[in-house]
Amino acid sequence: MANHSATHPKHVHHHFVDSNQQFESAKLGMWVFLVNEILFFGGLFCAYIVFRAWYPELFTQAALELNTFWGAVNTVVLIGSSLTVAMAIRSAQNNQKRGLEINLLITILLACVFLVIKYFEYEHKLHLGIAPGSFWNPTPEIAAVLDHPKANIFFGIYYMMTAVHGLHVIIGIVLMVWLYLRARKGHFNSEYYTPVEITGLYWHLVDLIWIFLFPLLYLIE
Amino acid sequence: MASLSKTENTAQITPKKLKVKRFVPLENPINTYLTDEKGIWAWLTTVDHKKIGLMYLGAVAFFFALAGFLAIALRTELWTPAKTFIEADTYNQLFTLHGAMMVFFVLVPSIPAALGNFILPMQLGAKDVAFPRLNLASFYIYAFGAIFTFLSLANNGFDTGWTFYTPYSSDTNSAGIIWVTLGVFILGFSSILTGTNFITTIHKLRAPGISWDRLPLNVWALYATSIIQVLATPVLAITILLLAMENILDIGIFDPALGGDPVLYQHFFWFYSHPAVYIMIVPGFGIISEVITTFSKKTIFGYWAIALSSLAIAFIGFLVWGHHMFTSGQSAVATTIFSFLTFLVGIPTGIKIFNWVATLYRGSISMKTPMLYVFIFIFLFSIGGFTGIMLGALSVDIHLHDTYYVVAHFHYVMMGGTLIALLAGLHYWWPKMTGKMYNEPLAKTAAIFIFIGFNVTFLPQFIMGAQGMPRRYYNYIDQFTPFHQTSTIGSYILAVGFLVILFYLVHSLIKGQKAGPNPWNSRGLEWQSNSPPDFHNFSHTPVVIHGPYDYHQPMEEFQLGLAVDHEYGDEQDKVAAEAHASSATETTEA
Amino acid sequence: MMSEHHGHHVASAKQLWGIGIALLILTVLTVTVAGLGLPSPFDILMAMTIALTKAFLVAAFFMGLYWDTKFNSMLLIGALAFFILMVSITLLDTLYRDDVVPSF
Repeated sequence: MANHSATHPKHVHHHFVDSNQQFESAKLGMWVFLVNEILFFGGLFCAYIVFRAWYPELFTQAALELNTFWGAVNTVVLIGSSLTVAMAIRSAQNNQKRGLEINLLITILLACVFLVIKYFEYEHKLHLGIAPGSFWNPTPEIAAVLDHPKANIFFGIYYMMTAVHGLHVIIGIVLMVWLYLRARKGHFNSEYYTPVEITGLYWHLVDLIWIFLFPLLYLIE
Repeated sequence: MASLSKTENTAQITPKKLKVKRFVPLENPINTYLTDEKGIWAWLTTVDHKKIGLMYLGAVAFFFALAGFLAIALRTELWTPAKTFIEADTYNQLFTLHGAMMVFFVLVPSIPAALGNFILPMQLGAKDVAFPRLNLASFYIYAFGAIFTFLSLANNGFDTGWTFYTPYSSDTNSAGIIWVTLGVFILGFSSILTGTNFITTIHKLRAPGISWDRLPLNVWALYATSIIQVLATPVLAITILLLAMENILDIGIFDPALGGDPVLYQHFFWFYSHPAVYIMIVPGFGIISEVITTFSKKTIFGYWAIALSSLAIAFIGFLVWGHHMFTSGQSAVATTIFSFLTFLVGIPTGIKIFNWVATLYRGSISMKTPMLYVFIFIFLFSIGGFTGIMLGALSVDIHLHDTYYVVAHFHYVMMGGTLIALLAGLHYWWPKMTGKMYNEPLAKTAAIFIFIGFNVTFLPQFIMGAQGMPRRYYNYIDQFTPFHQTSTIGSYILAVGFLVILFYLVHSLIKGQKAGPNPWNSRGLEWQSNSPPDFHNFSHTPVVIHGPYDYHQPMEEFQLGLAVDHEYGDEQDKVAAEAHASSATETTEA
Repeated sequence: MMSEHHGHHVASAKQLWGIGIALLILTVLTVTVAGLGLPSPFDILMAMTIALTKAFLVAAFFMGLYWDTKFNSMLLIGALAFFILMVSITLLDTLYRDDVVPSF
């Protein structure tokens, strides 16, 4: 029902008293959603911990197949994108339309770089027959190094963790593109930048998850 | 929109900052949320929490009828020890479908998403939930999940039991299992969105004067429920996703054939599904607290005890999931600790029961239908709870595990608890939702049918379970025949009860008498609006100066509102903002 | 007309860049430490300590919890607490089984 009164700002929905209540609600809602996300990934981390506690030697061996260098590069890429998102929010708060657009663009670019690197990592592994579960069919050289009956399970966990995380990156890119289009139309300013703020929260969480995935998967010596 | 309420008693309460007028709800409202926008399209695209609640209610009723019909078919099949009229494989699919539908489509969304959606914003004096569009999305996600489950039936179905245990579910070469797991995965999102929405609404959209100690207990219960939904459901989502990947890609985490651990699946599954039991029952507790005060005309006994025990149940509910796995091969250490922790759940639940009974003491009790259901609830739920404690005892459980004793126990809790509470709430809020009354004598008759039918169905199951009748079996030895037949007869009586309810509710919609705004003379905020309420619930922003159960205060004290209508937005914003800022005690100083 | 955003903290560019650089340094540090090959419990402890520090920086400053209402921080901490709960109770089973994976 279009029950907007003339002085209710356009971006404020009818059931909120004022802009601030709407902003605070959106942020709280996003945080509650992030709790979901943490528990969602938590299940995967739990599987990881259980299997690592059972077969520590498997994890040491298998991690050697993961390329630490590219993992580290991806970490840097994601941290950089987190920084640009934070800068984007700052730009919106300061009414800097241009800054907002540029920061969003860089974020999208970095997220794409992350996915491209991830893609090449996957391709390399699948090429060597390092696939999850019953598709586990390593080349003889790999099989010689990675001689463990449960090796397929490590990579089952690895693929699930990184794929679910990658899916979140893709969703993040879609959201950023949407934000960018809206930013170009001048929808955001210091009075109203709620979507930028809460998408930023989401993106930082994606970064947070990777901050833990990186040492747990790549850095086991 | 013009003011829908006549303003009476213009002698205003004038606290320090705001001028408050009394608003008396209209006897015959012209504009209601039902007449506000018309047509099927308006319903399907509505963001009004009340309509979404009703759509959920319709969907839940539909699935309940469907799953109930399956239950009747199952009970009929069990009339004789051998085959009665369905094949063994079909039987396996039917009980799986009955369980999955009742849990995921009926019990989980029933009270929060259907009744809660309707009532929660009204009890908070809000115009809507915090994220109305998300609310609508959650309904469609629910519908979408349902479609996947039906697609599963078209693809060989699934017969793993509603728990989808590996390796049953990973070895079955059925496309059906993939579809249904994806369906449950999607349904989970619906539940998560509702929970997120409710938590935000309760935190941010309370009307002026509703401090945390004036929240209706129904809101406290929904708050606890939402917390469980938010914390537990994502774990179900990842579990189900892993299970689907187990089927599609053979990732091998849970499948013993690939080196995985099936017991780990059970841990993951019950990390959600045990708290999910409380997602189903805790909102029921909320309804009972509301109904029992209204029909005792008395302040609730132990407000904080009831409010906090909901949160305690929510928390302890996360610590006890292993009692579903006593015979699964989990370590003795875990088993012992889980058994011990399980007993703890009895404490907050007991606190609630005692407080309700204490509320009744010296109350002025009127035995209307909702109150009748409350008594049925207390009786049946206590049996369900006590047998649950018995099952939590390790040594007893080894004997009773996976027998009909367990079946009877969780039906006493889920049906005798949640569904009876849902019926209590439905009858209690029906006049508010529709503006119509139902046929009281018929309603009481139906309640008695349900009570008798329920006990005839499930009491014998305790006995044959204790004697060793395993659950989910298609055949049984002859000595159990009398128990099974009694149980089957009971299920028919139960069905008659539900048909009577269906009849008089439909009748009430068509020919029911006008209910008026507050037929029960309740002090709850939701009753200080028109019946049915208008689109914005209240034609004014309500100001609350008393708790929801202050029956010692005169009725007029509860009929407050801001002096300014929605029409004059900026004025109202200013006043409302001030009201938010000013504490409730300021208002009472008037 | 809606100009009073008391609660909205605007972080300075300097602050944000500082946090970004700190995160970079910690990333280099964790890779270096992993290369040292510390003995068993210490390598994972070290890696997790650094990861937690990084997570703290991101949550407190990029996500603005440092300036935000306490309740949002509580949500984050609560989520972590329940995650730890899930893991530790599951480990009570998996670490104390007679037979690691029950055979079929």
